[in-house]
Amino acid sequence: MKAIWENIFKKGPVNDPILHAIHQVPIFKHLNGKELNEISRLTHERDYRLGESIFKKMAPGEGMYVIIQGNVTIKDPDTGMVFAQLCSGDFFGELALLDEEPRSAMAEAQEPSKLIGFFRTDLLTLMHRSPELGNKILINLSRVLGERLRQTNIALAKKSS
Amino acid sequence: MNDSSLKIYRLLLFVLIGGLVWTVLPFFASVIVMLIFSFLFTTIFLPSVDSLERKIHSRSFSVILIIGGTIVAFIWFLGSFATNIGAQIKQFSAKIQQDDFALSLEGLSNKAQTILPDFLTNLIPESDEIIEKSQESLSGLFQNMLSFLSATGSLFFIAVMTLIFTIILLVEYHDFKRTLVRFIPNKYLEVGLRLIYNIEQQISKYLRGQLMAAGSVALLSIIGLFILNQFGANMTLIVFIGIIAGFANLIPMVGPFVGMIPAILVALMNNLGSDVALAHQLFGVIPSPFYILDIIFMFIVVQQIDNNLITPILVGESVGLHPMIVMIVLLIGGTLMGPLGMLFAVPTAGVIKVILDEIQFISRNSHLL
Repeated sequence: MKAIWENIFKKGPVNDPILHAIHQVPIFKHLNGKELNEISRLTHERDYRLGESIFKKMAPGEGMYVIIQGNVTIKDPDTGMVFAQLCSGDFFGELALLDEEPRSAMAEAQEPSKLIGFFRTDLLTLMHRSPELGNKILINLSRVLGERLRQTNIALAKKSS
Repeated sequence: MNDSSLKIYRLLLFVLIGGLVWTVLPFFASVIVMLIFSFLFTTIFLPSVDSLERKIHSRSFSVILIIGGTIVAFIWFLGSFATNIGAQIKQFSAKIQQDDFALSLEGLSNKAQTILPDFLTNLIPESDEIIEKSQESLSGLFQNMLSFLSATGSLFFIAVMTLIFTIILLVEYHDFKRTLVRFIPNKYLEVGLRLIYNIEQQISKYLRGQLMAAGSVALLSIIGLFILNQFGANMTLIVFIGIIAGFANLIPMVGPFVGMIPAILVALMNNLGSDVALAHQLFGVIPSPFYILDIIFMFIVVQQIDNNLITPILVGESVGLHPMIVMIVLLIGGTLMGPLGMLFAVPTAGVIKVILDEIQFISRNSHLL
Protein backbone atom coordinates (compact mmCIF):
# COMPACT_ATOMS: atom_id res chain seq x y z
CA MET A 1 0.00 0.00 0.00
CA LYS A 2 2.84 2.30 0.90
CA ALA A 3 4.51 1.62 -2.47
CA ILE A 4 1.42 2.73 -4.44
CA TRP A 5 1.04 5.83 -2.26
CA GLU A 6 4.70 6.72 -2.79
CA ASN A 7 4.46 6.03 -6.48
CA ILE A 8 1.50 8.38 -6.94
CA PHE A 9 2.93 11.21 -4.90
CA LYS A 10 6.61 10.68 -5.68
CA LYS A 11 8.65 13.83 -6.19
CA GLY A 12 10.24 13.37 -9.61
CA PRO A 13 13.10 15.91 -9.53
CA VAL A 14 14.53 14.45 -6.33
CA ASN A 15 14.65 10.82 -7.52
CA ASP A 16 15.73 11.23 -11.13
CA PRO A 17 19.31 12.57 -11.51
CA ILE A 18 18.47 14.25 -14.84
CA LEU A 19 15.37 15.95 -13.41
CA HIS A 20 17.36 16.89 -10.34
CA ALA A 21 20.12 18.47 -12.47
CA ILE A 22 17.63 20.32 -14.68
CA HIS A 23 15.80 21.57 -11.59
CA GLN A 24 19.01 23.30 -10.39
CA VAL A 25 19.56 25.25 -13.64
CA PRO A 26 18.28 28.87 -13.49
CA ILE A 27 17.01 28.60 -17.08
CA PHE A 28 14.51 25.97 -15.91
CA LYS A 29 13.56 27.83 -12.72
CA HIS A 30 9.90 28.10 -11.63
CA LEU A 31 8.86 25.15 -13.78
CA ASN A 32 6.50 22.57 -12.29
CA GLY A 33 7.12 18.81 -12.30
CA LYS A 34 5.17 18.23 -15.50
CA GLU A 35 7.10 20.95 -17.33
CA LEU A 36 10.42 19.61 -16.08
CA ASN A 37 9.40 16.17 -17.29
CA GLU A 38 8.67 17.61 -20.72
CA ILE A 39 12.11 19.27 -20.77
CA SER A 40 13.83 16.04 -19.70
CA ARG A 41 12.11 14.24 -22.61
CA LEU A 42 13.83 16.64 -25.00
CA THR A 43 17.32 16.58 -23.50
CA HIS A 44 20.13 14.23 -24.53
CA GLU A 45 22.24 12.34 -22.00
CA ARG A 46 25.89 11.99 -23.08
CA ASP A 47 29.00 10.39 -21.63
CA TYR A 48 32.44 11.96 -22.23
CA ARG A 49 35.85 10.37 -21.71
CA LEU A 50 38.71 12.04 -19.87
CA GLY A 51 40.17 14.77 -22.09
CA GLU A 52 37.38 14.51 -24.68
CA SER A 53 36.26 17.86 -26.02
CA ILE A 54 32.58 18.67 -25.69
CA PHE A 55 32.91 21.47 -28.21
CA LYS A 56 35.84 23.29 -29.76
CA LYS A 57 36.53 27.00 -30.01
CA MET A 58 34.96 28.60 -33.11
CA ALA A 59 32.71 25.58 -33.70
CA PRO A 60 29.12 26.61 -34.54
CA GLY A 61 27.20 26.58 -31.24
CA GLU A 62 24.02 24.53 -31.07
CA GLY A 63 23.08 24.50 -27.40
CA MET A 64 23.85 24.24 -23.70
CA TYR A 65 25.07 21.45 -21.42
CA VAL A 66 24.33 20.63 -17.79
CA ILE A 67 26.88 18.57 -15.86
CA ILE A 68 25.27 15.64 -14.03
CA GLN A 69 28.52 14.06 -12.95
CA GLY A 70 32.18 14.93 -13.52
CA ASN A 71 34.30 18.00 -14.19
CA VAL A 72 34.52 20.23 -17.24
CA THR A 73 37.03 22.97 -18.07
CA ILE A 74 36.17 25.96 -20.21
CA LYS A 75 39.37 27.29 -21.76
CA ASP A 76 40.98 29.08 -24.66
CA PRO A 77 43.04 26.49 -26.55
CA ASP A 78 45.20 29.19 -28.16
CA THR A 79 46.36 30.89 -24.97
CA GLY A 80 45.72 28.00 -22.58
CA MET A 81 43.80 30.39 -20.32
CA VAL A 82 41.19 28.60 -18.19
CA PHE A 83 37.95 30.56 -17.85
CA ALA A 84 36.08 28.20 -15.56
CA GLN A 85 36.22 24.82 -13.83
CA LEU A 86 32.73 23.41 -13.68
CA CYS A 87 31.32 20.49 -11.71
CA SER A 88 28.01 18.65 -11.09
CA GLY A 89 24.99 20.93 -11.33
CA ASP A 90 26.82 23.60 -13.36
CA PHE A 91 25.80 24.53 -16.88
CA PHE A 92 27.52 26.18 -19.86
CA GLY A 93 27.00 27.17 -23.51
CA GLU A 94 23.53 28.64 -22.92
CA LEU A 95 24.19 31.56 -25.29
CA ALA A 96 24.13 29.11 -28.20
CA LEU A 97 20.43 28.54 -27.50
CA LEU A 98 19.79 31.95 -29.00
CA ASP A 99 22.28 32.39 -31.84
CA GLU A 100 24.48 30.40 -34.18
CA GLU A 101 27.64 32.35 -33.40
CA PRO A 102 30.85 30.28 -33.12
CA ARG A 103 31.85 29.14 -29.61
CA SER A 104 34.20 31.64 -27.94
CA ALA A 105 36.05 28.94 -25.97
CA MET A 106 36.40 25.17 -25.84
CA ALA A 107 34.90 22.79 -23.26
CA GLU A 108 36.82 19.69 -22.24
CA ALA A 109 35.99 16.87 -19.82
CA GLN A 110 38.57 16.70 -17.01
CA GLU A 111 37.39 13.25 -15.93
CA PRO A 112 34.82 10.76 -17.26
CA SER A 113 31.70 12.94 -17.17
CA LYS A 114 27.98 12.60 -17.70
CA LEU A 115 26.31 15.62 -19.26
CA ILE A 116 22.87 16.45 -20.57
CA GLY A 117 22.55 18.58 -23.67
CA PHE A 118 19.66 20.92 -24.39
CA PHE A 119 19.94 22.32 -27.90
CA ARG A 120 18.46 25.11 -29.97
CA THR A 121 16.55 22.59 -32.09
CA ASP A 122 15.02 21.19 -28.86
CA LEU A 123 14.04 24.70 -27.74
CA LEU A 124 12.48 25.41 -31.16
CA THR A 125 10.57 22.11 -30.99
CA LEU A 126 9.42 22.97 -27.47
CA MET A 127 8.33 26.47 -28.52
CA HIS A 128 6.26 24.87 -31.27
CA ARG A 129 4.81 22.11 -29.10
CA SER A 130 4.30 24.14 -25.97
CA PRO A 131 4.64 27.91 -26.52
CA GLU A 132 3.83 28.73 -22.90
CA LEU A 133 6.69 26.58 -21.61
CA GLY A 134 8.99 27.86 -24.38
CA ASN A 135 8.26 31.44 -23.31
CA LYS A 136 9.02 30.64 -19.66
CA ILE A 137 12.42 29.26 -20.68
CA LEU A 138 13.14 32.27 -22.91
CA ILE A 139 12.29 34.66 -20.06
CA ASN A 140 14.54 32.69 -17.69
CA LEU A 141 17.29 32.68 -20.31
CA SER A 142 16.96 36.47 -20.69
CA ARG A 143 17.25 36.82 -16.89
CA VAL A 144 20.43 34.72 -16.86
CA LEU A 145 21.94 36.73 -19.73
CA GLY A 146 20.86 40.01 -18.11
CA GLU A 147 22.54 38.95 -14.88
CA ARG A 148 25.73 38.07 -16.81
CA LEU A 149 25.67 41.50 -18.48
CA ARG A 150 25.23 43.22 -15.11
CA GLN A 151 28.20 41.27 -13.68
CA THR A 152 30.31 42.20 -16.71
CA ASN A 153 29.37 45.88 -16.32
CA ILE A 154 30.32 45.79 -12.64
CA ALA A 155 33.65 44.11 -13.49
CA LEU A 156 34.36 46.69 -16.21
CA ALA A 157 33.48 49.57 -13.88
CA LYS A 158 35.80 48.17 -11.21
CA LYS A 159 38.60 47.79 -13.74
CA SER A 160 38.25 51.33 -15.10
CA SER A 161 37.99 52.99 -11.66
CA MET B 1 48.30 3.44 -45.11
CA ASN B 2 48.58 6.45 -47.42
CA ASP B 3 45.74 8.72 -48.49
CA SER B 4 45.20 7.31 -51.99
CA SER B 5 44.94 3.68 -50.88
CA LEU B 6 42.58 4.75 -48.08
CA LYS B 7 40.43 6.47 -50.70
CA ILE B 8 40.44 3.29 -52.86
CA TYR B 9 39.42 1.18 -49.84
CA ARG B 10 36.63 3.63 -49.02
CA LEU B 11 35.41 3.57 -52.63
CA LEU B 12 35.48 -0.25 -52.67
CA LEU B 13 33.58 -0.36 -49.38
CA PHE B 14 31.04 2.12 -50.76
CA VAL B 15 30.56 0.03 -53.96
CA LEU B 16 30.27 -3.18 -51.89
CA ILE B 17 27.65 -1.69 -49.56
CA GLY B 18 25.82 -0.18 -52.56
CA GLY B 19 25.78 -3.57 -54.32
CA LEU B 20 24.56 -5.34 -51.18
CA VAL B 21 21.76 -2.81 -50.68
CA TRP B 22 20.77 -3.10 -54.37
CA THR B 23 20.60 -6.93 -54.07
CA VAL B 24 18.67 -7.00 -50.79
CA LEU B 25 16.37 -4.04 -51.56
CA PRO B 26 13.71 -5.95 -53.58
CA PHE B 27 13.03 -8.26 -50.60
CA PHE B 28 12.35 -5.30 -48.33
CA ALA B 29 10.85 -2.97 -50.93
CA SER B 30 7.26 -3.22 -49.65
CA VAL B 31 8.36 -2.72 -46.02
CA ILE B 32 10.44 0.30 -47.07
CA VAL B 33 7.47 1.74 -48.97
CA MET B 34 5.28 1.23 -45.85
CA LEU B 35 7.88 2.94 -43.66
CA ILE B 36 8.30 5.86 -46.08
CA PHE B 37 4.51 6.34 -46.21
CA SER B 38 4.29 6.08 -42.41
CA PHE B 39 7.05 8.64 -42.02
CA LEU B 40 5.32 11.03 -44.44
CA PHE B 41 1.95 10.60 -42.71
CA THR B 42 3.68 11.10 -39.35
CA THR B 43 5.21 14.35 -40.61
CA ILE B 44 1.79 15.51 -41.81
CA PHE B 45 -0.06 14.63 -38.59
CA LEU B 46 2.70 15.49 -36.08
CA PRO B 47 1.86 19.21 -35.64
CA SER B 48 -1.85 18.43 -35.07
CA VAL B 49 -1.03 15.63 -32.59
CA ASP B 50 1.46 17.86 -30.74
CA SER B 51 -1.01 20.73 -30.44
CA LEU B 52 -3.88 18.45 -29.37
CA GLU B 53 -1.59 16.80 -26.81
CA ARG B 54 -0.96 20.27 -25.39
CA LYS B 55 -4.70 20.70 -24.84
CA ILE B 56 -5.78 17.26 -23.61
CA HIS B 57 -2.45 16.21 -22.02
CA SER B 58 -2.52 12.68 -23.47
CA ARG B 59 -0.43 11.78 -26.50
CA SER B 60 -2.02 8.38 -27.15
CA PHE B 61 -5.52 9.85 -26.99
CA SER B 62 -4.47 12.72 -29.29
CA VAL B 63 -3.12 10.23 -31.85
CA ILE B 64 -6.31 8.15 -31.66
CA LEU B 65 -8.50 11.25 -32.11
CA ILE B 66 -6.53 12.65 -35.06
CA ILE B 67 -6.03 9.33 -36.89
CA GLY B 68 -9.58 8.17 -36.07
CA GLY B 69 -11.03 11.44 -37.35
CA THR B 70 -9.02 11.22 -40.56
CA ILE B 71 -10.07 7.59 -41.16
CA VAL B 72 -13.74 8.44 -40.58
CA ALA B 73 -13.50 11.41 -42.99
CA PHE B 74 -11.72 9.22 -45.58
CA ILE B 75 -14.29 6.40 -45.31
CA TRP B 76 -17.12 8.92 -45.54
CA PHE B 77 -15.54 10.42 -48.67
CA LEU B 78 -14.99 7.01 -50.29
CA GLY B 79 -18.51 5.85 -49.34
CA SER B 80 -20.22 8.93 -50.73
CA PHE B 81 -18.03 8.86 -53.83
CA ALA B 82 -18.78 5.16 -54.46
CA THR B 83 -22.53 5.75 -54.00
CA ASN B 84 -22.57 8.75 -56.32
CA ILE B 85 -20.31 7.27 -58.98
CA GLY B 86 -22.42 4.08 -58.85
CA ALA B 87 -25.56 6.08 -59.56
CA GLN B 88 -23.74 7.97 -62.32
CA ILE B 89 -22.52 4.75 -64.01
CA LYS B 90 -26.00 3.22 -63.73
CA GLN B 91 -27.46 6.26 -65.43
CA PHE B 92 -24.76 6.18 -68.09
CA SER B 93 -25.27 2.46 -68.75
CA ALA B 94 -28.94 3.16 -69.37
CA LYS B 95 -27.93 5.92 -71.76
CA ILE B 96 -25.56 3.62 -73.67
CA GLN B 97 -28.43 1.20 -74.35
CA GLN B 98 -30.27 3.95 -76.18
CA ASP B 99 -29.59 4.99 -79.77
CA ASP B 100 -28.75 8.49 -78.57
CA PHE B 101 -25.31 7.27 -77.57
CA ALA B 102 -24.37 6.14 -81.09
CA LEU B 103 -25.94 9.28 -82.56
CA SER B 104 -24.04 11.54 -80.19
CA LEU B 105 -20.73 9.86 -80.95
CA GLU B 106 -21.47 10.18 -84.66
CA GLY B 107 -22.29 13.84 -84.11
CA LEU B 108 -19.03 14.31 -82.17
CA SER B 109 -17.03 12.65 -84.96
CA ASN B 110 -18.68 14.78 -87.65
CA LYS B 111 -18.22 17.91 -85.60
CA ALA B 112 -14.52 17.18 -85.12
CA GLN B 113 -14.12 16.59 -88.84
CA THR B 114 -15.71 19.94 -89.72
CA ILE B 115 -13.69 21.85 -87.12
CA LEU B 116 -10.25 20.38 -87.70
CA PRO B 117 -8.08 21.23 -90.72
CA ASP B 118 -8.07 18.75 -93.63
CA PHE B 119 -4.74 17.12 -92.84
CA LEU B 120 -5.99 16.21 -89.36
CA THR B 121 -9.40 14.87 -90.38
CA ASN B 122 -7.82 11.63 -91.60
CA LEU B 123 -6.80 11.00 -88.01
CA ILE B 124 -10.44 11.07 -86.84
CA PRO B 125 -11.93 7.58 -87.25
CA GLU B 126 -15.36 6.98 -88.74
CA SER B 127 -18.28 7.00 -86.32
CA ASP B 128 -18.74 3.16 -86.52
CA GLU B 129 -15.12 2.78 -85.62
CA ILE B 130 -15.50 5.16 -82.67
CA ILE B 131 -18.48 3.23 -81.31
CA GLU B 132 -16.63 -0.06 -81.68
CA LYS B 133 -13.51 1.38 -80.04
CA SER B 134 -15.39 3.01 -77.18
CA GLN B 135 -17.26 -0.27 -76.49
CA GLU B 136 -13.92 -2.12 -76.56
CA SER B 137 -12.36 0.35 -74.18
CA LEU B 138 -15.38 0.10 -71.87
CA SER B 139 -14.97 -3.68 -71.65
CA GLY B 140 -11.23 -3.12 -71.16
CA LEU B 141 -12.05 -0.72 -68.36
CA PHE B 142 -14.17 -3.36 -66.59
CA GLN B 143 -11.34 -5.91 -66.97
CA ASN B 144 -8.93 -3.40 -65.50
CA MET B 145 -11.33 -2.81 -62.62
CA LEU B 146 -11.38 -6.56 -61.91
CA SER B 147 -7.58 -6.77 -61.83
CA PHE B 148 -7.63 -3.67 -59.65
CA LEU B 149 -9.96 -5.43 -57.21
CA SER B 150 -7.59 -8.42 -57.00
CA ALA B 151 -4.75 -6.04 -56.17
CA THR B 152 -6.91 -4.42 -53.49
CA GLY B 153 -6.13 -7.30 -51.09
CA SER B 154 -2.41 -6.54 -50.93
CA LEU B 155 -3.17 -2.82 -50.98
CA PHE B 156 -5.38 -3.28 -47.93
CA PHE B 157 -2.57 -5.12 -46.11
CA ILE B 158 -0.09 -2.33 -46.96
CA ALA B 159 -2.63 0.31 -45.84
CA VAL B 160 -3.26 -1.43 -42.49
CA MET B 161 0.47 -1.90 -41.83
CA THR B 162 1.16 1.73 -42.79
CA LEU B 163 -1.60 2.82 -40.40
CA ILE B 164 -0.10 0.77 -37.55
CA PHE B 165 3.42 2.12 -38.25
CA THR B 166 2.05 5.68 -38.41
CA ILE B 167 0.26 5.32 -35.06
CA ILE B 168 3.39 3.89 -33.39
CA LEU B 169 5.61 6.59 -34.92
CA LEU B 170 3.22 9.36 -33.87
CA VAL B 171 2.95 8.11 -30.28
CA GLU B 172 6.68 7.47 -29.88
CA TYR B 173 8.06 10.10 -32.29
CA HIS B 174 10.03 12.21 -29.80
CA ASP B 175 11.39 9.13 -27.99
CA PHE B 176 12.42 7.55 -31.32
CA LYS B 177 14.26 10.76 -32.18
CA ARG B 178 16.12 10.71 -28.85
CA THR B 179 17.07 7.06 -29.38
CA LEU B 180 18.37 7.92 -32.85
CA VAL B 181 20.42 10.79 -31.41
CA ARG B 182 21.93 8.38 -28.85
CA PHE B 183 23.73 6.60 -31.72
CA ILE B 184 25.44 9.79 -32.91
CA PRO B 185 29.07 9.98 -31.68
CA ASN B 186 29.81 12.93 -29.34
CA LYS B 187 31.96 14.54 -32.00
CA TYR B 188 29.05 14.83 -34.44
CA LEU B 189 26.26 15.40 -31.88
CA GLU B 190 25.54 19.06 -32.58
CA VAL B 191 25.91 18.70 -36.36
CA GLY B 192 23.75 15.55 -36.31
CA LEU B 193 20.98 17.30 -34.38
CA ARG B 194 21.05 20.17 -36.83
CA LEU B 195 20.85 17.74 -39.75
CA ILE B 196 17.85 15.89 -38.27
CA TYR B 197 16.08 19.18 -37.51
CA ASN B 198 16.72 20.59 -41.00
CA ILE B 199 15.47 17.39 -42.68
CA GLU B 200 12.34 17.43 -40.49
CA GLN B 201 11.70 21.08 -41.34
CA GLN B 202 12.30 20.54 -45.05
CA ILE B 203 9.85 17.64 -45.34
CA SER B 204 7.29 19.17 -43.02
CA LYS B 205 7.31 22.55 -44.82
CA TYR B 206 7.08 20.88 -48.23
CA LEU B 207 4.26 18.51 -47.27
CA ARG B 208 2.20 21.14 -45.45
CA GLY B 209 2.66 23.59 -48.34
CA GLN B 210 1.70 20.94 -50.88
CA LEU B 211 -1.37 19.87 -48.90
CA MET B 212 -2.53 23.47 -48.57
CA ALA B 213 -1.91 24.06 -52.28
CA ALA B 214 -3.85 20.84 -53.05
CA GLY B 215 -6.72 22.10 -50.87
CA SER B 216 -6.73 25.42 -52.72
CA VAL B 217 -6.73 23.68 -56.12
CA ALA B 218 -9.63 21.49 -54.95
CA LEU B 219 -11.60 24.56 -53.82
CA LEU B 220 -10.83 26.54 -57.00
CA SER B 221 -11.79 23.54 -59.17
CA ILE B 222 -15.09 23.20 -57.32
CA ILE B 223 -15.79 26.93 -57.83
CA GLY B 224 -14.77 26.64 -61.50
CA LEU B 225 -17.03 23.64 -62.13
CA PHE B 226 -19.87 25.40 -60.29
CA ILE B 227 -19.44 28.42 -62.61
CA LEU B 228 -19.41 26.10 -65.65
CA ASN B 229 -22.69 24.62 -64.41
CA GLN B 230 -24.19 28.12 -64.44
CA PHE B 231 -23.46 28.12 -68.18
CA GLY B 232 -25.26 24.79 -68.60
CA ALA B 233 -22.31 22.33 -68.39
CA ASN B 234 -24.53 19.87 -66.45
CA MET B 235 -21.64 18.68 -64.27
CA THR B 236 -22.31 16.38 -61.31
CA LEU B 237 -19.96 15.05 -58.56
CA ILE B 238 -18.40 18.53 -58.48
CA VAL B 239 -17.03 18.20 -54.93
CA PHE B 240 -15.48 14.79 -55.64
CA ILE B 241 -13.93 15.95 -58.92
CA GLY B 242 -12.50 18.97 -57.10
CA ILE B 243 -11.00 16.82 -54.34
CA ILE B 244 -9.52 14.36 -56.89
CA ALA B 245 -8.04 17.31 -58.83
CA GLY B 246 -6.57 18.61 -55.57
CA PHE B 247 -4.97 15.28 -54.70
CA ALA B 248 -3.72 14.77 -58.27
CA ASN B 249 -2.08 18.18 -57.92
CA LEU B 250 0.30 16.64 -55.36
CA ILE B 251 2.14 15.07 -58.29
CA PRO B 252 3.93 18.02 -59.86
CA MET B 253 3.50 18.77 -63.58
CA VAL B 254 1.56 15.58 -64.49
CA GLY B 255 -1.05 15.77 -61.71
CA PRO B 256 -3.01 18.75 -63.07
CA PHE B 257 -3.72 16.88 -66.32
CA VAL B 258 -4.77 13.76 -64.38
CA GLY B 259 -7.20 15.98 -62.44
CA MET B 260 -8.98 16.99 -65.68
CA ILE B 261 -9.82 13.43 -66.72
CA PRO B 262 -12.68 12.70 -64.27
CA ALA B 263 -14.25 16.08 -65.08
CA ILE B 264 -14.15 15.40 -68.84
CA LEU B 265 -15.53 11.86 -68.32
CA VAL B 266 -18.43 13.15 -66.20
CA ALA B 267 -19.15 15.89 -68.77
CA LEU B 268 -19.25 13.25 -71.52
CA MET B 269 -21.45 10.91 -69.46
CA ASN B 270 -23.92 13.65 -68.57
CA ASN B 271 -24.10 15.43 -71.91
CA LEU B 272 -24.05 12.61 -74.46
CA GLY B 273 -27.29 12.82 -76.38
CA SER B 274 -27.76 16.55 -75.80
CA ASP B 275 -27.67 18.55 -79.06
CA VAL B 276 -27.19 21.81 -77.15
CA ALA B 277 -24.09 20.45 -75.41
CA LEU B 278 -22.79 19.09 -78.72
CA ALA B 279 -23.17 22.47 -80.40
CA HIS B 280 -21.71 24.44 -77.46
CA GLN B 281 -19.01 27.00 -78.21
CA LEU B 282 -16.39 28.33 -75.81
CA PHE B 283 -16.82 32.15 -75.55
CA GLY B 284 -19.36 31.74 -78.34
CA VAL B 285 -16.51 31.36 -80.84
CA ILE B 286 -14.48 28.17 -80.37
CA PRO B 287 -16.48 24.96 -80.81
CA SER B 288 -16.39 23.01 -77.55
CA PRO B 289 -18.60 19.91 -77.81
CA PHE B 290 -19.83 18.64 -74.42
CA TYR B 291 -18.01 21.55 -72.74
CA ILE B 292 -14.69 19.68 -73.05
CA LEU B 293 -12.67 22.76 -73.99
CA ASP B 294 -14.43 24.79 -71.27
CA ILE B 295 -13.31 22.23 -68.68
CA ILE B 296 -9.73 22.17 -70.01
CA PHE B 297 -9.69 25.98 -70.05
CA MET B 298 -11.06 26.13 -66.48
CA PHE B 299 -8.38 23.71 -65.21
CA ILE B 300 -5.65 25.67 -67.02
CA VAL B 301 -6.88 28.86 -65.29
CA VAL B 302 -6.89 27.05 -61.91
CA GLN B 303 -3.36 25.77 -62.61
CA GLN B 304 -2.15 29.27 -63.50
CA ILE B 305 -3.62 30.68 -60.27
CA ASP B 306 -2.02 27.79 -58.34
CA ASN B 307 1.40 28.03 -60.02
CA ASN B 308 1.72 31.80 -59.97
CA LEU B 309 -0.11 32.77 -56.81
CA ILE B 310 -0.91 29.99 -54.34
CA THR B 311 2.12 27.66 -54.55
CA PRO B 312 4.73 30.45 -54.42
CA ILE B 313 3.07 31.80 -51.27
CA LEU B 314 2.32 28.50 -49.52
CA VAL B 315 5.24 26.34 -50.63
CA GLY B 316 7.58 29.21 -51.49
CA GLU B 317 11.13 28.15 -51.90
CA SER B 318 10.77 25.55 -49.16
CA VAL B 319 12.63 22.94 -51.16
CA GLY B 320 14.97 25.46 -52.77
CA LEU B 321 15.57 23.41 -55.90
CA HIS B 322 16.04 24.82 -59.39
CA PRO B 323 13.00 24.11 -61.66
CA MET B 324 15.31 22.24 -64.05
CA ILE B 325 16.44 19.95 -61.19
CA VAL B 326 12.78 19.47 -60.19
CA MET B 327 11.96 18.31 -63.75
CA ILE B 328 14.96 15.94 -63.83
CA VAL B 329 14.15 14.37 -60.44
CA LEU B 330 10.51 14.01 -61.51
CA LEU B 331 11.60 12.12 -64.62
CA ILE B 332 13.92 9.91 -62.55
CA GLY B 333 11.19 9.28 -59.92
CA GLY B 334 8.63 8.52 -62.61
CA THR B 335 10.97 6.09 -64.39
CA LEU B 336 11.92 4.28 -61.18
CA MET B 337 8.59 4.06 -59.36
CA GLY B 338 5.86 5.50 -61.60
CA PRO B 339 3.35 8.00 -60.13
CA LEU B 340 4.47 7.17 -56.56
CA GLY B 341 8.03 7.98 -57.55
CA MET B 342 6.89 11.32 -58.94
CA LEU B 343 5.04 12.06 -55.72
CA PHE B 344 8.14 11.43 -53.60
CA ALA B 345 10.75 12.73 -56.07
CA VAL B 346 10.76 16.39 -55.01
CA PRO B 347 10.77 15.90 -51.20
CA THR B 348 13.44 13.19 -51.57
CA ALA B 349 15.57 15.54 -53.66
CA GLY B 350 14.98 18.21 -50.99
CA VAL B 351 16.22 15.85 -48.25
CA ILE B 352 19.28 14.89 -50.33
CA LYS B 353 19.98 18.61 -50.81
CA VAL B 354 19.85 19.19 -47.02
CA ILE B 355 22.22 16.22 -46.44
CA LEU B 356 24.63 17.48 -49.12
CA ASP B 357 24.54 21.00 -47.63
CA GLU B 358 25.33 19.58 -44.18
CA ILE B 359 28.13 17.38 -45.57
CA GLN B 360 29.59 20.51 -47.20
CA PHE B 361 29.22 22.33 -43.87
CA ILE B 362 30.92 19.48 -41.98
CA SER B 363 33.80 19.22 -44.44
CA ARG B 364 34.28 23.01 -44.20
CA ASN B 365 34.31 22.92 -40.40
CA SER B 366 35.83 19.44 -39.89
CA HIS B 367 38.76 20.92 -37.92
CA LEU B 368 36.26 22.27 -35.40
CA LEU B 369 34.53 18.95 -34.66
